[in-house]
Amino acid sequence: MTTTMYADEVAPCPPRAGTLYDVLELILDRGMVIDVFIRVSLVGIEILKIDARIVIASVDTYLRFAEACNRLDLERDSGSTTIPELLGGRAAKSVGKRKVRKAAESVGDTVRKAVGSGDDDDDEDEREERPKKRRTPARDGASRRRHAEA
Amino acid sequence: MTESGVYVYAIIPAGEALPADAVGVGGPPAVLRLIRDGRVAAVVSDAPPQLRARRRDLMAHQDLLLRLTEGGPVLPMRFGAVAPDETTVRAQLAGSQAEHLAMLRHLDQSVEINVKALPAQDALAAVVAEEKDVRRLREAVRRRPDYQANVRLGEAVATAMSRRASEAGKKLLHELTPMARAVAAGPEVPGCALNVSFLVERSEVDAFQETVRRFADAHMESVELRVAGPLPCYSFVSSRGLRPTAAGV
Repeated sequence: MTTTMYADEVAPCPPRAGTLYDVLELILDRGMVIDVFIRVSLVGIEILKIDARIVIASVDTYLRFAEACNRLDLERDSGSTTIPELLGGRAAKSVGKRKVRKAAESVGDTVRKAVGSGDDDDDEDEREERPKKRRTPARDGASRRRHAEA
Repeated sequence: MTESGVYVYAIIPAGEALPADAVGVGGPPAVLRLIRDGRVAAVVSDAPPQLRARRRDLMAHQDLLLRLTEGGPVLPMRFGAVAPDETTVRAQLAGSQAEHLAMLRHLDQSVEINVKALPAQDALAAVVAEEKDVRRLREAVRRRPDYQANVRLGEAVATAMSRRASEAGKKLLHELTPMARAVAAGPEVPGCALNVSFLVERSEVDAFQETVRRFADAHMESVELRVAGPLPCYSFVSSRGLRPTAAGV
């Protein structure tokens, strides 16, 4: 099938969102435009992109970061961890990871809504404009890719 | 205007065949056909009624362009280009043949690779250890834990993460640019410190990706890289409207 390599095959970290999101802005904003051809309305998509921007700079996100930071403190105090251990330590790392990921999730969700959810039937017109408040697990890249190559 | 028009996916050199089993947008997927004129051809299908930027159709557009890219040079259209009828497409091909051919030659044997740099999400410990501001604010919260102090701490963390990613992104751009035939800044993506596309020779793709991989490993405490490609050359075709040159009417 396609030889395309998506992010999760290169980056050391597991994928955070579906593969379509990684190139969504290229499909929508790049590529050749010819004046005499009409372009479809992208209203729903643009609104959701703006949503994502608001979430990133929110106080809620800051508080989650702060909480994650404070948790790091506790880990260090209770175990009297040294800095090298803090940096490499499994416990400290996983706490930080979980908390920060949680903060990032709200952003990922919004983006995912913009492209619709993986297993949804996309045939309903309003789907993209009024996305459901459903949380998809962050690491469903595998099923997403299968979907993409189907 | 006939029915709902002609959806245009790409322009390719005349003589290239459509990939077997390839389909278009819509549900059920539209049947593809070629409109040839001179030495170029447009890959088209009937436009589905009420076409919108659905996930399904974005994927169909993307998948078809990927398959075409495997066969030879492709001028990918932006998603959602619909011509009123075949005559308009044919006139456009005839009117802009020279430009299309020149662009096809330019892109031959090359693909697009898109690289996005995002703040590393797993590197909080490194941020705390290495960022003076964050350490100071963390101490303040510790002494007097209150809402404002926590907001300031979180904001400092977010700022530091963005800055670290942005610095790493600049370094990466510097490293990758000599490996590419051309470089194009991508559209701004919220949360991305860097979004850049590279035009890379097919024969250089492996080396390019290996370089990105090594960079990602070496900088995982500041940046998370997301690499997509080989892709159709979305960012390296003229995105300004081509003039209809007395064709469209």
